Amino acid sequence: MSVSKLSKEQFGQFVDAMLAAGRRVVGVVAKDDRFQFDELKSAAALRLDYDVTILPPKKYVLPQVEPLLQFEVGGGAQSVMNYDPLVLLGVHPYDLIAIRQMDELFSQGEYDRHYMDRRKQITIIACDVVRPSKNIFASSMETAVVSDGYDILITDIGDAYLLDVATEKGHALMTYAKGLAAAASADVEKRQAIQEANRTALNKHKLGCKVSYLPRLMEKAYNHPVWQEKARLCFSCGSCNQVCPTCYCFDVQDQVNWDLKTGERVRCWDGCLLENFATVAGNHNFRKDRSSRFRHRLFRKAKYVPEKIGGQIACVGCGRCITACVADIANPVTVYNRLMEERTLG
Amino acid sequence: MSKPRVAIFDFACCEGCQLQIVNLEEEILDLINVVDVVEWREAMSEQSHEFDIAIIEGSITRPEDEKRIEIIRSRCKIMIALGACATIGGVNKMKNKFDLEEVKHCVYGKDAHMPHLETGLTKAVHEVVDVDYKIHGCPIDRKEFASVIRALLLGKRPTVPDYPVCVECKAKENICRYEYNEICLGPIIRAGCGARCPSSSFRCFGCRGYVDNPNVEAAREVMDKYGLTVEDLRQKMVLFGCEQGPTV
Repeated sequence: MSVSKLSKEQFGQFVDAMLAAGRRVVGVVAKDDRFQFDELKSAAALRLDYDVTILPPKKYVLPQVEPLLQFEVGGGAQSVMNYDPLVLLGVHPYDLIAIRQMDELFSQGEYDRHYMDRRKQITIIACDVVRPSKNIFASSMETAVVSDGYDILITDIGDAYLLDVATEKGHALMTYAKGLAAAASADVEKRQAIQEANRTALNKHKLGCKVSYLPRLMEKAYNHPVWQEKARLCFSCGSCNQVCPTCYCFDVQDQVNWDLKTGERVRCWDGCLLENFATVAGNHNFRKDRSSRFRHRLFRKAKYVPEKIGGQIACVGCGRCITACVADIANPVTVYNRLMEERTLG
Repeated sequence: MSKPRVAIFDFACCEGCQLQIVNLEEEILDLINVVDVVEWREAMSEQSHEFDIAIIEGSITRPEDEKRIEIIRSRCKIMIALGACATIGGVNKMKNKFDLEEVKHCVYGKDAHMPHLETGLTKAVHEVVDVDYKIHGCPIDRKEFASVIRALLLGKRPTVPDYPVCVECKAKENICRYEYNEICLGPIIRAGCGARCPSSSFRCFGCRGYVDNPNVEAAREVMDKYGLTVEDLRQKMVLFGCEQGPTV
C-alpha cells in the first residue's frame, strides 16, 4: 500500500477539477451551525473538519424516496434503474462501516438490484475524524478507524491530506489530482498517530463491555424492565431511525397519476419506532406497545442484524440518535450498560 | 362509468383550503376530468342537491350549521373534512376557552345579539356527523389533497400519515428546535406537511392535530430538560390544540 500526499490547496484543486469535468460530487458542507452531506458546487464549501452530519450519507446510498418502477393499473410494469456516477466525499469511518453493512444486507438473499446498481456507481472518499462530535462513541464500537472498504481514504495531517487510494474506482479519480507526491515516512507516522488516537478518543459514551459481547448480552435481555422504563417517554417519532446510518427499513407505496391508469411505485424510509411500522393486513399491529418497538431497535442493532452479517454490530457509535432524541432515551450505550449491570434481571 | 359528483361546502373558515384546491392550477383540469364538480361556491355559481362526495371546509359553530351539515351528510356517500377547521376545529376553537357571551361582545360589539350572529361552541365536523376521511393542515397540502382524491377514485383507502412531524423534519435535515431549547409541537403532531414550518426556522404550530396516539405525558415531562414548563407548552398548544382529544 502506498500513501500519497496533496497539499490542502492541491486537494481543493483536485475537487474542483472533478466538478469542472462534470462529475457529481456530494460532500460535507455547513448547515447553519451543523453539517450535512450535499451536492458540492465548489471545493470552497467543503468542510472536512466537520464533527458529524445531521443525516448520515445513507441518503445517497438508499434515498429517502426512490422510484422502483412505473406501472399500469392492472397491466405491466417497468423497473426504474438509471443511476449516474457519484463521488461521496468525506465519509467518516463509522459511516463507511454502516454503508458496508448495508452493501452486505442488500446483496444477500433477495439481491436488491436498485440498491446495488446505485451503490456500484458510487465512489467513496472516506476521511478520518478531525473533530469528535458531542455524542460520538465510535471507539467503544470499534468503528473509529477503517483499514478497508473505501475507494480512497484521506487523512488531514495539518498542512496536507494523505491519500490512501485503495481501488480501481479510486485510482480513476486520481487523474483529476495534480501535484500528487509520495508521502514521506514522517507523514505516514503522523497519519498513524492520528488514527491510533481516534481508536480510543472518539468515545463520549463508554460501552461497559467488548462490542463483540453484545449479541450474548441480548440473549437474556428480552424481558428486562429497561424497555418499559425508557419507552414511557418515547414519542414514537422515529427520529432515532431516521438519523441512524444502519437503519435501512423501507416502505413501498404506489402513487397513481391523474389518468388513474398509470403510476409509480416508490420506496421510502420507514422506522421501527413508528407506531404502525408493524401493522399488517387486517390492521393487526404485532408491535403495538412503545416498549416493544423501543426494544426492537436495540435488538436489531445488537443481535438480529449481527446474525445476518457475521457478527458485526449494527450500531457504529455515531451518536446521532442521542442528539436527535427529544426525550433523551435513545442512547444505546446507556441501555446496554444497564443490561450489563443487571444481567440477572432479564 | 359516470364520473363521481363532488360538492365542496364551506362553514366557519377563511376559505384558504379551498383556495389551495384552486391553486392546483393546471392539475385542476386533471381533477375535473375525473370528477364532476356540482357545487363549489368559491369557484362556480351552480348548486346541487345530488352528489357522491362532499368536501367540507370549516368548523361548525352555529345551530343552523349543525342542521346544514346533517343534511349534507344524509345526501353524500363519502364525506371528507378539509383543513384544520374541519378536522380539529382549527383556530376557531380558541373561542371555546372563553365565556361565549364575552367572546360575542368582543367580536361583534353592540350587534352581539343579532340573530344571524347566534353562535355556540366550535366543533370539528366529526364532532357533529360521521366523517370518512380527513385532509389535515392549515392550509391543506394540495399534493396530499390530490393523492387522497385519486385514491378514492380508484376505490382505495387513502394513506394519511399517522406519525409525528419529526419524521419529515428529520428527512429535511432540519436542526431540531429542542437543540436550541425551543418548544416545537412536532413530536406529538401528525405529519404530512413536509415539516413546512420547522423547515422555515419556525416551530411546528400543530395545525394537523395530534397523531393517533400522542405521547402527551412525554411532551409534558421533557419540558424540564429544556428549561421550559408545561405552561409554556400549553400556550403553544392554544392556537390549534384547544380541547381536542388528549391534551397537554
